[in-house]
Amino acid sequence: MTGFRVIKGGILSLIQDSGRLGFQHLGVTRGGPLDANSAYWANRLLDNVPDAAVIEVTAGGLELESRTQTMVAITGGDLNLTVNGEPQIPWRSFWVRQGDRLKFGTPRYGFRAYLAVSGGFQTPEVLGSRSTVMRDHLGGVNGNGEPLQAGDELPCKHLIHETLSRQIPQSYLPQWTNEVVLHVIPGYQQHHFSKDAWQTLWQSEFTLSTDSNRQGARLHGPEIEAPSGSFLSEGVSYGAIQIPPDGQPIIMLEDRQTLGGYPKLGNILPLDGFELAQCAPGAKVRFQPISLAEAQQQMRRYLRFFGL
Amino acid sequence: MTNLVTTAQETELAAPVAEFCNAGVDALLVKFGDEIDACMPSYLASIRERVLNQLADVVNEVVPAYASLLVYYEPRNVRVYDLQLALQGIIDEVPWLCSPWSAEDANAPGKLVTVPVCYDPTMAPDLERVLQHTGLTAEELIAAHSGQQLQVYALGFAPGFAYLGSLPDALKVPRLDAPRTHVPAGSVGIAERQSAVYPQDSPGGWNIIGRSPVQWFDPKRTPMTAVQVGDRIQFKAITLSEYQAYAEQGAQ
Repeated sequence: MTGFRVIKGGILSLIQDSGRLGFQHLGVTRGGPLDANSAYWANRLLDNVPDAAVIEVTAGGLELESRTQTMVAITGGDLNLTVNGEPQIPWRSFWVRQGDRLKFGTPRYGFRAYLAVSGGFQTPEVLGSRSTVMRDHLGGVNGNGEPLQAGDELPCKHLIHETLSRQIPQSYLPQWTNEVVLHVIPGYQQHHFSKDAWQTLWQSEFTLSTDSNRQGARLHGPEIEAPSGSFLSEGVSYGAIQIPPDGQPIIMLEDRQTLGGYPKLGNILPLDGFELAQCAPGAKVRFQPISLAEAQQQMRRYLRFFGL
Repeated sequence: MTNLVTTAQETELAAPVAEFCNAGVDALLVKFGDEIDACMPSYLASIRERVLNQLADVVNEVVPAYASLLVYYEPRNVRVYDLQLALQGIIDEVPWLCSPWSAEDANAPGKLVTVPVCYDPTMAPDLERVLQHTGLTAEELIAAHSGQQLQVYALGFAPGFAYLGSLPDALKVPRLDAPRTHVPAGSVGIAERQSAVYPQDSPGGWNIIGRSPVQWFDPKRTPMTAVQVGDRIQFKAITLSEYQAYAEQGAQ
């Protein structure tokens, strides 16, 4: 099979599809793109199935050489992609020839770019998914959870004919700034937190910490008083806002561990989580309440749009 | 038979009440109290199985823990209120068959898995400190750790990582102040009154008192994990040379 060769792995470049479903009861993390909206758009530009495997490029530095000819699409943050030294406009699909060099620079806006290829990257599946989950040692090029590194081969289809380049209309492009508002569905442990704790949450500005990763977004800000006593470990869902004893919130993301025991304020709206994934450390974060019904309606609209 | 009847009568009062709590746009947490209860794992395993079978069109995953089930559902196919009613209906069907089983009891829940452990100090970086903390001798610690059956309360933290309980009080030790960045696969840890075997090389904060040659997780194997929630485990002490023999056997 033809494909791409990795010249430089960059800061953190990972193969991601929609994740490893159905194994959380065995402790297997789901994984998947942190900004699923951008990943879906990349696949849509190529008429791929929504869960075709893409590359999530965090903060840039990835360099690839094409060993084939195919259509690719680039969405997400603008990481100053060049092809053979020519700057590329993001959020569009384009034709790549054998020998072309694709090189990601540093972020101009956003933090994570998504590179899709016609038909998806055909790296091996582990437990029904190609998603790379480093902490589980699962997925990726060799199936053992390693991020992309120099010398890796990324198999994909060879196209005989060039197809039309497509671009996403300006009005659909997400507007990212380094300030984000996260809508919170108050959670089942809400009554364990004091009124003061909730006031701190709604009224403060938090900063996205450099310790953040795909497991959790760590925030710095005024201390949110954690409830006393210990809680039994239980399943942790996407977007859960955990408050450890130091009072600094951790928002659980796609690579979260399946079980956790810290008290939780609630869960953020996944659409806001996608925006958070595009924030560089240092971004300002605020919180606002949202009802479950309203949050579900927004998610329905989003999923229907992608035909999911 | 007599035994069964008595237990049913005794435990009818103790049947846990399910509490439903939202956990985001597509998850519902079903809680059954706040206590670690030896009867819970097999109860939760039966409910989980029924939920996956009967509500397959709306439920994607069910993640069991000590006293809860996290139910991931498809919010476009079901209203959360209707899902709660359906779940309550299933919970009502599952009997709370709590019998304090003994090692000889053929009706004990789950399967019994014997897990060899080498407690040699070369494989047990925290052994010395645990002995000091507990005041036990190495022989007493091994006897206490391997002298009873433990239950699998939950799988989580890492693929195949099984939370085992409950250890005798004498073995109760706190977690490490600062977790290690690297714990080798097979390491046997204890913390509070729990024990576990690390399935893969990973960071970890439990006290390592030995190592097991058993492969705890393999995505290419069926079943992938050595144990399931509700199974029981009995550790068995082996010598360093027995460990090496096991490890070689496993590698073939």
